[in-house]
Formats: sequence, C-alpha cells, structure tokens
Amino acid sequence: MGMWPFGHHDPSKKSMGRVLIVDDEENIRKIARLTLTKAGYEVIEGKDGGDAIEALNSGENPLLVDAIICDIRMPKINGVEAISYFRSQYPSVPIIVQTGFPDLNLATSLMKQGVSDYLVKPVENEKLIAAVNKAVEERAMFTS
Amino acid sequence: MGAEQFIHIAILGAGRGGTALIELFTRCNGIAITGIADTNPDAPGLRLASNLNIPATTDPVSLVADKAVDLIVDVTGNPSMPALIERHKSARAEILSGTAAKLVWSLIQDERDLYGHLAHAEKLSTLGTFAAGIAHEFNNPLHMMLGFAQLIQDTQDPATVQEYIQEIVKLIKHLSNMSTSVNLYARTSTQGELVLVQIPKLLDEAIRMAKFSTILDEVTVVPDYGPVPDIQAEPGELLQVFLNLIVNAVQAMNARGQLTLRTGVEQGSITVSVEDTGPGIAPQDLAKIFAPFFTTKKEGKGTGLGLYIVDTIVRKYGGRIEPRSEVGKGTAFRIHFPLPAPPQDTAPAPRAASQATF
Repeated sequence: MGMWPFGHHDPSKKSMGRVLIVDDEENIRKIARLTLTKAGYEVIEGKDGGDAIEALNSGENPLLVDAIICDIRMPKINGVEAISYFRSQYPSVPIIVQTGFPDLNLATSLMKQGVSDYLVKPVENEKLIAAVNKAVEERAMFTS
Repeated sequence: MGAEQFIHIAILGAGRGGTALIELFTRCNGIAITGIADTNPDAPGLRLASNLNIPATTDPVSLVADKAVDLIVDVTGNPSMPALIERHKSARAEILSGTAAKLVWSLIQDERDLYGHLAHAEKLSTLGTFAAGIAHEFNNPLHMMLGFAQLIQDTQDPATVQEYIQEIVKLIKHLSNMSTSVNLYARTSTQGELVLVQIPKLLDEAIRMAKFSTILDEVTVVPDYGPVPDIQAEPGELLQVFLNLIVNAVQAMNARGQLTLRTGVEQGSITVSVEDTGPGIAPQDLAKIFAPFFTTKKEGKGTGLGLYIVDTIVRKYGGRIEPRSEVGKGTAFRIHFPLPAPPQDTAPAPRAASQATF
C-alpha cells in the first residue's frame, strides 16, 4: 500500500486484475485510475458507452477485463444502454455503477439486470476499491 | 366600439391598481390602452407604461378629453375625480369608477394571485424534472473534490498536491455558480421589482440551467447575439421564458442537432429567437401550443403550462411571441419586445435601486 508512485504499478507484483472505467468526465476517470492503480489494478478508460464498447472489443482478449465501472448519464450511448450491451456480450464481467443519480428505481432495475454494485457519487476512494475487490473476487469464484 | 373592434381604455391612477390594470389589459386581446394618468410623476404605473410604450401623463384632464377613449377606468380613489371626468370626457365615453372599479380591482387581484401561483407551480414542476439533473450536476463535482482530497492525503509531491488543490478550487467555484443559478430560477417572483436585464447574459444562464434537464453534449449551441439594449424586467421571469424555449427545443431534437440563439433589433422591436433543427410542429398543433394544458409530451413529462406561461410573461412586458415551424426542418420561436422608450424630460429618472443587478 502506497509503496509505488501513482500511475505505475509494481512490476514485481502480479496485477490484481484489469478494470474498465467508463465516465464522460476526464477527472473522474483520472481519480479512478490513480486510486485503482495504487490498489494494484490495471485500468483502461472509456469516455462514453460507445467508446467503452470499442475499447472492450478492440482489446486482444476482451475477457481480460475483470470489472467495469460505469457512469449512467453520458452522451451518445448512455450507461443504461451500455450496461445492457455489456450484460449481453460479456455476462461474466461484473459491472459497478458509479453515478450522480440517487435513483432507487434505476438502482433496483439495474441490480435485477445483474449489476454487482450501485455507488452514488461522491464515492470515497476506499469504497470504490472495496467494490472492485468484491466484484473481482466473486467473479473469480464463478469462473474458476 | 370603433371600426378596429378595439375597446380604447384610459386609466386614471397609476398606483397598484393602475399597474395591475396595465398588466391585465396588455394580456387581453381586443383592448387598447389609450393612456394612463397620475398626478404623482413617480407612480409605478407611469414607469411601467413608458416601458411598454403606452402614453403616460401627469395630466388626467388631457387623457380624459381624448376623443378616442371608449371607457375611462378610475382607480385613483380621489373623491373629486368623478366630477372632473364628467366635465371633460367626450359624450360617448363610459366611466368605470367607485364600487364598480373596486370590484374590477379585486377581481384582478384575484386573477393576478392565481396566475402568480400557476407560474410558480410551473417553475416548481420544471424544477422537479431538474431534480435528477441537479443531483448529477452537483454530485459529479463533489465526487471529484472528494477524490482529489483523498489523493492529496497520499501524495508527497508538492507539485501534484498543488495541481489537485487547483482542481478542487475550480470545482468549488463551479458549484457555487450552479447554486446561484438554481436560486435565481427558483425564487418566487418579486412582484414588480424590475431591474435592467442583459438579454444575452440571461440566455447564457438559461443554457447553463438547461443542462439540469437535458444533455447538451451533442447539441451545437450557436449564440448569434446582435447588440440589444437592456430591458427592464424581473430576471427570474425572463429566465423562465428562455429556459422553457431552450429545453423544449433540445427535447424536440432528441438532444441531437443545432440550437441557435439570436438577439437583435428589428423594425422597432427587440427580437430574441430560439431555433432548433428538430422535426418541427404539425400545423394543426402549432395553433394550440400556447393554450394552457396543451402538450404533446408523454404523460408525466410535461404540464402543458410551459408555453402558456411563456406567452403570458412575454405579453406582460408588452411583447409577443411568434412560432414558425416547418415539419422535417425545425422550429423557431421569435419574441418581440418593445424597444425601451428613449429617455424624455418628463419621464421619471430611473432610481438607483433599479440599476443593473444582472
């Protein structure tokens, strides 16, 4: 913890996993990237739903993504549309919603679609790490 | 009634009663205000009248004697006024005074209160639809502030700390601007507190507010602001007008297209237009859009009061609104406001309190 500088992860240590963060706000992606990199994850970014779908499909192996953190209110392809795409194309990849909408109906409907967490901004960095850890662990239990 | 079918009315008394009569009569079709008189040159109704290009005078006799007048409404409460009117009025002019004028006054008060409640209800209902957007627009910056603050805790590099602090300061300023906008919009109408309003500035404010209810990322906003004089108005009311038109335009385009905002001076009036590249409004609907409770939006999505309130506010300032629409091409709403009367020697000097605060 805190042993290596931001943006670089310790090459001697195995990556905890690969996380895709989808948010139209650059600084929100940056905060998630720095926080999760420090916690040992590799982070890739998408600035909206379309961008994220492209990032996933262009990867050498899309299954390498261990969790997706997704905003809801975004231009072009919004979070709800993107999540339903992720669920249908990559059903085993856990999705964590991180949104400014404290909307109970939306949260319920997304949880029913299999979203693993619904975090309402502002989200503390530790809480995001904990949600990602939990989602990645659960996935490991299912796939191994 | 004359050949034009207008009832020409002279108003005597420019206090609260006369002011309310001007507001009501300018909203009604078929009524022309010949003029308003009050012996007190500072009476608020005289100032409102000159803003609306309605003849305002401190000499009741000259107004009463005007041959064009069909009806004289006396709300001065001055016991010597009826005799003066009888002496100077033309033979055909009728008089509304005393208890009858009081009755009209109380009906107007009632109507005015009702309208005030309706306009505020529309505002609140719009704010309700903003709730989710406001939460989003506030929670995002809060999230970043929290995130940067937590990163600072773990950062040793002074330059990085400075960078994050600067981001946090920017976010705080942004949040503060937003809360000012929401407050300006949400507060109740200040009942006649007019200030000098810069229309282009208020249009920009409306764009900021529109982000609460709709995503503007894929709307190209084209501001085409020609020079326009400031007008005397309640900023909250004009904001309600512009915001309504902008949100309607963006929703009509399904949040994708071009939104053009224009200001200018044309044929003796100030024009403000809000133009979209949406699907347009069908001719049979175009005639009904300003009627109260008319809406083409899905149930629960619109009150049907938006454009009715827009029209009412515009009329209050002596203006009119003209929709033009072509199916498949887009819609343009153009508002015409009267140019403020050039300063005259007889016009009451603007009070210091009414200088631009917006």
